[in-house]
Amino acid sequence: MSSPAVIIPPDEEKHAVDAQILQRVAAGDQAALGELYDRFSRPLYSVALRVLNDATEAEDVLHDVFVTVWDKAADFEASRGHAFSWALTLTRNRAIDRVRSRKRRSEILTQAVPSDLGYDEADDAKLDSADTLWIKEKAAAVRSAVATLPADQRQALELAYFGGLTQLQIAEKLAEPLGTIKARIRRALLKLRDVVSPQL
Amino acid sequence: MIDERKEEAAALYALDLLEGAERSAFETQLQSDRELRRLVDQLRAASANIALLAPLAEPSAFLRERILADVADREPTTPDHVVPFRLPLWTGWAAAVCFIVATGYFSVANFNARSQANFLRESERLTRIEAGNLSNLLEAERLISRQQISDLRLAQADASALRTSLASAAAQIADLKQQNALSDLKIDALASLVVGTPDARAIAVWNPRTQEGVLTVAKLPALPEGKDYQLWVVDPQYPIPVDGGVFQVDPATGEARVTFKPNKPVATAAKFAVSLERKGGVPKAEGTMMLLSY
Repeated sequence: MSSPAVIIPPDEEKHAVDAQILQRVAAGDQAALGELYDRFSRPLYSVALRVLNDATEAEDVLHDVFVTVWDKAADFEASRGHAFSWALTLTRNRAIDRVRSRKRRSEILTQAVPSDLGYDEADDAKLDSADTLWIKEKAAAVRSAVATLPADQRQALELAYFGGLTQLQIAEKLAEPLGTIKARIRRALLKLRDVVSPQL
Repeated sequence: MIDERKEEAAALYALDLLEGAERSAFETQLQSDRELRRLVDQLRAASANIALLAPLAEPSAFLRERILADVADREPTTPDHVVPFRLPLWTGWAAAVCFIVATGYFSVANFNARSQANFLRESERLTRIEAGNLSNLLEAERLISRQQISDLRLAQADASALRTSLASAAAQIADLKQQNALSDLKIDALASLVVGTPDARAIAVWNPRTQEGVLTVAKLPALPEGKDYQLWVVDPQYPIPVDGGVFQVDPATGEARVTFKPNKPVATAAKFAVSLERKGGVPKAEGTMMLLSY
């Protein structure tokens, strides 16, 4: 017996639904927070895990993020971005804060930023919901966009996003002048904006 | 138009890579630059895409329940959320006491502030007066200096004129001295007293200051063997003429030019005379008187 087909929602529809749920959260609706968790938890947790490389710490970050979403939902400005993007930024910032507070940063980085991009998605077929499929579709688009970047730009961008390093530390790690690193990050991010910004 | 430098800062800011003063400066710019703000939002959205590069993973099943349980007792902050609050009965009295205390405190603070302000004003006034005095002093010094410079220039001009005048005077003095010296000189022509040598002549020039003279003779007869011509200076203060020395003449021409210095001080050279004497001369004229001043 085959499983029923899952329909991937269009981008705007998904974002609109996210915004409505967030409005309900702002009004104190706990069920809405549960819905939001179901929609966002996997990609947010994945980012936290990627940055921290520690499941327990990644769950702590996710916990903090959803508590913050609960507390600050009313502060969210829909005109300046999508709810999912906002939650992602919150998650990444919290994870980065933790990385930066660690003593064993260099050890973590070695593990958290492998030389390949780590696109391994083994054994998650059982998790495929409409939101998961949406995430996967967008992730594929982002990967193909990032793949078009020169390797040095891609590397600098990944270190900047997932590594929790300062500009200077990135420059030291890649053994390049600081100005070169800044220029690479600028060019990479501008290109990414032009190619994939409508994704999230 | 956003230049590359701003784009770079915006990219770094979007990735949370700006720190410290750099971050503060950029955030200040953001407040007044809408275009830059829009760029930052775009870059933040673009950077959020990078999150999708992380391999998908599933948090533990209990996390959802834990989060929902933790927020159960929390009220989300909403702009229009108002918590009812009833004031206790003693609030009025407490407010009055607070008001009195605050009034007292602010009165003292106000007094202190006024005192300090007055002190500062007075300090400023004194500083201004001091500055005015210094300014006046400087102006006076400037005027005095200018006057001194003017005086020095005049003195310099005077000194220059004086030097010129002194040089002129020195030249005049030298000239006068020369004239005076010349005026002191006595020049006498001597003529022959011997019948056989009527053409014999001599000129005697006498300088009384140096007590020296020059005698130039011509056409005197050649000297006989054992004889010299001897010059005499007639000075009224002495009973006999003063010896002026002996000399010889060229036998062919009878000429001679000799410098003479009498053997006694001569006060007045009234006349000069030349006689033919024994070789080496005599203290008192004995021989034939050949020439005499006329």
